[in-house]
Amino acid sequence: MANLNIDSIKERTFDAIVIGSGMSGGWAAKELGDKGLKTLVLERGRDVKHLKDYPTTNMYPWEFAHHGQITDELRQANPIVSKCYAFGEDAQHFFVKDKEHPYVQEKPFDWIRGYQVGGKSLLWARQTQRWSDFDFEGPARDGFAVDWPIRYKDIAPWYSHVEKFAGISGNMDGLAELPDGEFLPGFPLNAVEQRFSKHVKSRYQNRHVISARCAHLSKPNQIHLDQGRGQCQKRTLCQRGCPFGGYFSANASTIPWALRSGHVTLRPFSVVESIIYDEKLGKATGVRVIDTNTKEAIEYYADVIFLNAAALNSNLVLLNSTSNRFPNGLGNDSGTLGKYVAFHNYSAHISAEWDGDKEWTTDGRNPAGGGYIPRFRNVYKQETDFLRGYAAGFYAYRSRETSSNGIGEELKKNLVKDELGNWQVGSHMMGETIPKESNYVALDKTQKDPWGIPQLKISVVYDDNDAKMKKDYVEQMTEMFTSAGFTNIQASVDNRAPGLDIHEMGGVRMGNDPKTSMLDKWHRLHACKNVYVTDGASMTSTSCQNPSLTYMAFAARAVDHWVREKSYQ
Amino acid sequence: MNRRIAIRNMALIMGSAALLPACLSGDKGKPIVTLKQLKLDAAQENLVSNLCETILPKTSTPGAKDLGINLFVFKMIDDCFDKKGQDDFLVGLEEFETAVDKKYGKSFNDLTVAERSAFANDIEKQSKVPNNKDKDNKANGFYWAVKGQTVFGYTTSKYFMTEQIVYELVPGRYNAMFPVKKKAAV
Repeated sequence: MANLNIDSIKERTFDAIVIGSGMSGGWAAKELGDKGLKTLVLERGRDVKHLKDYPTTNMYPWEFAHHGQITDELRQANPIVSKCYAFGEDAQHFFVKDKEHPYVQEKPFDWIRGYQVGGKSLLWARQTQRWSDFDFEGPARDGFAVDWPIRYKDIAPWYSHVEKFAGISGNMDGLAELPDGEFLPGFPLNAVEQRFSKHVKSRYQNRHVISARCAHLSKPNQIHLDQGRGQCQKRTLCQRGCPFGGYFSANASTIPWALRSGHVTLRPFSVVESIIYDEKLGKATGVRVIDTNTKEAIEYYADVIFLNAAALNSNLVLLNSTSNRFPNGLGNDSGTLGKYVAFHNYSAHISAEWDGDKEWTTDGRNPAGGGYIPRFRNVYKQETDFLRGYAAGFYAYRSRETSSNGIGEELKKNLVKDELGNWQVGSHMMGETIPKESNYVALDKTQKDPWGIPQLKISVVYDDNDAKMKKDYVEQMTEMFTSAGFTNIQASVDNRAPGLDIHEMGGVRMGNDPKTSMLDKWHRLHACKNVYVTDGASMTSTSCQNPSLTYMAFAARAVDHWVREKSYQ
Repeated sequence: MNRRIAIRNMALIMGSAALLPACLSGDKGKPIVTLKQLKLDAAQENLVSNLCETILPKTSTPGAKDLGINLFVFKMIDDCFDKKGQDDFLVGLEEFETAVDKKYGKSFNDLTVAERSAFANDIEKQSKVPNNKDKDNKANGFYWAVKGQTVFGYTTSKYFMTEQIVYELVPGRYNAMFPVKKKAAV
């Protein structure tokens, strides 16, 4: 390298490096900046600046060439990402196209990615629930994976910390299995959601339908205004990027905040090839980056590395960081790196109709999406022939009863009919999956990506537990819908591959024992204590909550730990 | 008539340049439709446009041609239909022409407005007859493809979304319990 002189090395040396600028990397960057550490944030994709880089955010449906539909050319070129529900004409520019970053599907896996500053935090479904000890104690109680090295009390203050800043709307529901948090006012349930909530409460022990908790500013506090964000305007066009900063994204919140600290440098177009390990010092000293524009390799140095590349790419970075000390990937003394990958099972839905409450409807749009049913299966004790359980969404809506019958004047009249139809209700499952050694990611031995980095080989499948849980979800929801008086109940199960849930987790799991896990209770590699992994890769088990809030709390807690202890030294 | 000229004339007549999508390129400032996949001759393009107008005619409110919906239909079929959908569309278009010729002894474009409506209404009626074996033939498939895109284009058009059922980009509110009576009053 031409620029290996002292000055250049100094220019490339920081207190901390954060790999990734999305949900968890943004939090690491913000916390490091707040604490005054000179920090470099590396992002493999392009920059997406809040407001400026949301090209479709204020477009009306008719302003899109295909009124929102994607073209066949785009679909044919992207069989994977075009399966994603949010991959429409308005947001397709925030998704990785299939050919841009190839990977090997040893078993079918739909890997949905967002390579840009902010990552998938621009695109997420914004549902945020805390874990409880029913979740953290799951593996130990039920005998799978390894015991989590942390409990709710360890993470609770960090949930509070990130909730206050991100802005989470919800109600104090007082449920042991879904702890309350620092909430802005919740979005209320509508007439039929309330009816179902009351019905479930009266008929079933420990089953609840609550307002979905979500990362929207229902009523902003000063800390949100200080970020330049404002009240959620109920557009529900979030995937385009929000001109009000009404929902939490790294782009609207943590990244600009971090940059304003004056301590943080953001470098887009920077793919991390590997983390550099110094055998004499016994620690990581920096990262090797490939500039995606120039294809030049550049090294950056720091005392600590935060790896937040999103679950599977964090696995890839560690697997590709080999040395004499770590021939099988950085920190991989246990041989567990890349293994015990799990996800969420979203493969069942149910819909029905309610012939009542006709005097009520809704007005405007609900950014929370409706109700949330926390896990009620196997919470207090094992009660089914499968392990763990599922949460579920629940929503009710009424639409104008239009028809497109006829032609001419008749058709025109049918299309503007202003009568409301019956209430429609629906639910989808969010099931926990059990991490297993046989569900893994690894480096492909021959194929490389456009930057010369081995492609990731993914081998993740459903198991019998997932099938039983799915069946139970359909049975239980059908029963709950039937007893509520809903009619025309239709369950639909799909055969989607894992991945489309966009909740892939694990591979760099936490645990107490370095022989069976990668990370300690502070999210540091057991064997290389100045590398922290605080994204989905660190998950020992998945439970069934939407995971982003937990990653945010992990990242903030890990930065705090590094700054307080610097304990590897 | 040369196809390009025909399309240019069509676009001019409809005065819908403002709605012409990105795949239209200028020729001395005049827009010309260039379809990437679909191969249609001038008569076929006229037929599709006339069918759009039959489905959604100008009445006291604008029709398909006024709103450029027919151009939108071309664009959707050209850009968003897959190969099979386009092949079915073309075969269906020919069978549709044949069916019209069999019934009236002339082309759809030469029918009176009343005849075109009668023909379309027949297909609408057929679809409601149970076990009608003609209901799923390719000519009917062509009709429903054009109708589906016409309705989609119309109900997502600026005209419809600002003057018929108003679309709010920024509702700014969510009222979870809203009396229907109040809604009707709005």
